[in-house]
Amino acid sequence: MQRAVHIVASGLFCARGTSPSAVGEALWAGECSSQPRQLGERHFPYFPLPVDDHDWSSRAEQAVRHVGAQLGRYAPYTPLFVASSSFQIGLFEQCGAPFDMPVGSASFSRQIADWMALSGPRTSFSTACTSGFSAIDAATTLISAGLIDDAIVLGIELTNNSTLAGFAAMELLSRTACRPFDARRDGLVLGEAVAAIKLSAAPGPWKIAGIASGLDAYSTTGPDPEGGPIAGVISDCLRAAGAHPADIELIKLQAAGSPGSDLAEANALRQVFTEAMPPLLSLKPALGHTLGASGIAELATLLASLDAGQIPATANYEDLDADIGLAPTAVRSNADVRRALLNLIGFGGGLASLVVERC
Amino acid sequence: MAFLNALITQQFAPDAIPAAVRAAIGKPLRRAAALTQLALVGACASLPEAQRGQPTLLLWQSISGPRLETQNLLDEVCLGGGEPMPYDFLATQPALAAAQIQPFLPGLRSATHLPLDNESASHWALMLGLACTWLDQGRCAQVLCAQLDHWSDSASGQWLTVTDRPLETALASLQIAREDATGAALDNADFPAALREWLHGCQTSHLTLQSAALPRLAVEFARL
Repeated sequence: MQRAVHIVASGLFCARGTSPSAVGEALWAGECSSQPRQLGERHFPYFPLPVDDHDWSSRAEQAVRHVGAQLGRYAPYTPLFVASSSFQIGLFEQCGAPFDMPVGSASFSRQIADWMALSGPRTSFSTACTSGFSAIDAATTLISAGLIDDAIVLGIELTNNSTLAGFAAMELLSRTACRPFDARRDGLVLGEAVAAIKLSAAPGPWKIAGIASGLDAYSTTGPDPEGGPIAGVISDCLRAAGAHPADIELIKLQAAGSPGSDLAEANALRQVFTEAMPPLLSLKPALGHTLGASGIAELATLLASLDAGQIPATANYEDLDADIGLAPTAVRSNADVRRALLNLIGFGGGLASLVVERC
Repeated sequence: MAFLNALITQQFAPDAIPAAVRAAIGKPLRRAAALTQLALVGACASLPEAQRGQPTLLLWQSISGPRLETQNLLDEVCLGGGEPMPYDFLATQPALAAAQIQPFLPGLRSATHLPLDNESASHWALMLGLACTWLDQGRCAQVLCAQLDHWSDSASGQWLTVTDRPLETALASLQIAREDATGAALDNADFPAALREWLHGCQTSHLTLQSAALPRLAVEFARL
């Protein structure tokens, strides 16, 4: 059995807003402000959830319940697929030593299911920045094969010092702003997000046309600068979608403002799309890099923007980088996009691409 | 139709893992977390050298995850008051395992880590169901399905190698079952042992693994 898999609902709670449409509106308005976050004696820009509450669990519960409510009605037994790179490490930090870590490394997924009133199967995915698409891939495979009919795929990445300090220690964070593909780009800006999509065999406004994953073992912290493995995954994804490069009307870039990864992605895109480059968009200057949640958060944001016919400009982009030679969208557009490609390039070499198609 | 080509169980004392790595690849795997080393040792045991260049996907579940490394990171960040050593942060990222083992498994195309949320959870049926589907779609030639755990006093790896064609060493065929699975094997941590027992016995021609969580998902093994 091979069934089409549709995206029938989405939910989002992040620095830019508390629903996909609100986030889409904020991006259309050009909002991209971040907040300073202190780590030792250094400050980094950061995109926190819009919650006035410092209790880690309480913030998480508010965000998850809010996102769950945006999905509309769903059966309690709907399978839940959770994507995260840090799960509840922030809770361990807040509770302090001795760190009371439960036996199951993804035990937080049980709590998420409880908050969403879900009592069905739970599966967790942790493949760093590609976690969201790994979860979508598994859920899509099961629905397409007729093994389940619906799934909720939730990405969650919440504040913690371990991740921030880890990226800071490797000098991967910008001290100013996320500037994707820009000559002045100098690193990532991290953020929080909880986002979810509901996938279904039942009809919906968008469908998963193709998905592909891959691996770039050039380095544990960055991809092959030539972009070959990334180009391979994009090509696999287009093939899975039954699409040609010319069929893609918009690309949601990974582009996190990282000097190396942005260059690799640009080189990969040139290999696949050659002279006919579709418009390029990065959402990270406005949302931050939300790591394990980024795949779902950026998908929900993109679909809201496309549904509204409002493709935002890529914030913070000003100066063309001669090596990259590609510029993301610098002006807003009302173009009608029916088929879009979304890229993820993960810490640790994970790669994933997704094509969504309007039904 | 897919084929079970290997079933491997490994147990180590934690301090014996580096020696196992050296035995597998002839040298140490530098700056690699324990789970990464376990993954490398198990993958090498599961795939003969001639098979390592075939397009391969890796699905691995874990109860422990990088528990000890996470504890170490928390100590550094919360008690040390500073930034962690980069290696200690990297060691908490299970996704890195794939990049570090690909040089020894050149066919490795992607790796997915499925952390488990409690001691009794298990995704063997899910992993095998995905493997059957992806092999059928031609995404790859073989899928490694594994459970890896690393605790303070023990480390273990359970590996099932599923291929798109029967190799000389094939143990059984498998496919997603389309009928109700009665008398099925349980989807839990003991499933590899139950599968081994069935392979070595001769009571029944088929063994069905029923997903504990997904009623429509069952995987049926048949003797060759």
